[in-house]
Amino acid sequence: MNEETSAPEESGHVLFWLTCAGLATALWAIFLFVPTEKTEGAVQRIMYFHIPSAWLAFFAFFIVFVSSILFLWKKDREWDIYAQSSAEIGVVFCSLVLITGPIWAKPIWGAWWVWDARLTSTLILWLIYVAYLMLRGHVESGSARARYAAVVGIAGFLDIPLIHFSVLWWRTFHPKPKIISAEGLGTGMDTTMLVTLLLSLGAFTLLYFLLLGQRIEIEKTKDEIDHLKKERLYSH
Amino acid sequence: MRQYLNQVTAIIWKDFAVELKTRELFSTMFVFAVLVILIFVFTVDLSIVNVNEVGPGILWVAFLFSGTIGLNRSFMLEKENGCLQGLMLTPIDRTALYFGKMLSNLAFLLIMEALLLPLFMVFFNVDLFRNLGSLLLVILIGTVGFCALGTLLSSLAGHLKTRDIMLPILLYPLIVPIAIGAVRMTSKVLMGEPLSEMWNWVGLTLSFDIIYIGVSIMTIDHVLEE
Repeated sequence: MNEETSAPEESGHVLFWLTCAGLATALWAIFLFVPTEKTEGAVQRIMYFHIPSAWLAFFAFFIVFVSSILFLWKKDREWDIYAQSSAEIGVVFCSLVLITGPIWAKPIWGAWWVWDARLTSTLILWLIYVAYLMLRGHVESGSARARYAAVVGIAGFLDIPLIHFSVLWWRTFHPKPKIISAEGLGTGMDTTMLVTLLLSLGAFTLLYFLLLGQRIEIEKTKDEIDHLKKERLYSH
Repeated sequence: MRQYLNQVTAIIWKDFAVELKTRELFSTMFVFAVLVILIFVFTVDLSIVNVNEVGPGILWVAFLFSGTIGLNRSFMLEKENGCLQGLMLTPIDRTALYFGKMLSNLAFLLIMEALLLPLFMVFFNVDLFRNLGSLLLVILIGTVGFCALGTLLSSLAGHLKTRDIMLPILLYPLIVPIAIGAVRMTSKVLMGEPLSEMWNWVGLTLSFDIIYIGVSIMTIDHVLEE
């Protein structure tokens, strides 16, 4: 193995162990360190998975947006791979948000689902990026797929603020944001809860980069295999 | 600039000429829209709910569904006889092509809506004339947003084998702001509220229109590239 390939592998290992340590610490904090919430009880602990997943999904879609712009600008396959990988991870975490939400809502609100602003926006967001991935599945690989996907990646992200406001004016029941509220940073929450949430946020962010790295690696290997296949085909 | 306008009008004229000859698109859209309204009348019990609240929703679902049929059809025609290839070989700007298609889609949809409104008035016993100016304005800005994004996405989906399915799947989640905003505004207008009471919705819909016309101008080169 030569120098170029061993360097990213090395940093990949570091990221892997860092993520493991981060997730282990976060799990310890969520289940052992942080006290049980007074009114909501144990089910409140799901928040430490719910909010980081939501943050990750949003961050992943932002990366799709940036990569899509860079792809249309530079026309470099690299950015297309980034956009696709990030969209896939985003959809997974967006699904987690949509699953953990109802589990919490059933005992607290008494219903699995209400058509509240944030729930609705998240569902629409999920649908947009599922459509994005479906579009990728329906076009054969190549420049056209990357271009179409990039256009949808840009159009989809720019819609988020519009969807946010339209659904917000439509209706809202979701708990108000607790970390960044009008009274100042972190005032709506107990310190131990805040620390646990931040730990979980950090661990999830590390997990995102780990997954992204893996997914990009897989896509590049696929490209290489395709390339080799073609080379073999035409050499005979 | 003059030349650019000529190119755009040439494309609009072409679409109208094709439609006058075939008479396919318009009749399909209109009959479909009437059917959508009819299905709603059967599925929603109108004796219980307030028509001013449910009516605008039904009206906009009819607009959006038949609009989707129109968008699908309009690019299918371009693809079928190699017309799109011909258009792309002509030395015109891609954005002129976009605006031509977008405006002809818009014109078809607006004519269809103008015919559907009287029917809506008769079927649901709604008084449209109380606030007609505001109502037409609301319908116009909503339809512009739908056509702006719809034309971009249909020119993209037009290249796919599964275009009939992919267009609504891509389009519907993205037009949620239009769907909510237009229905809210129409409902308020029908209840006699002046436009000044709903500036937030008007602003939101106009931003949608501007954002997606902008996105289309920036990206249409990459969609219509062969």
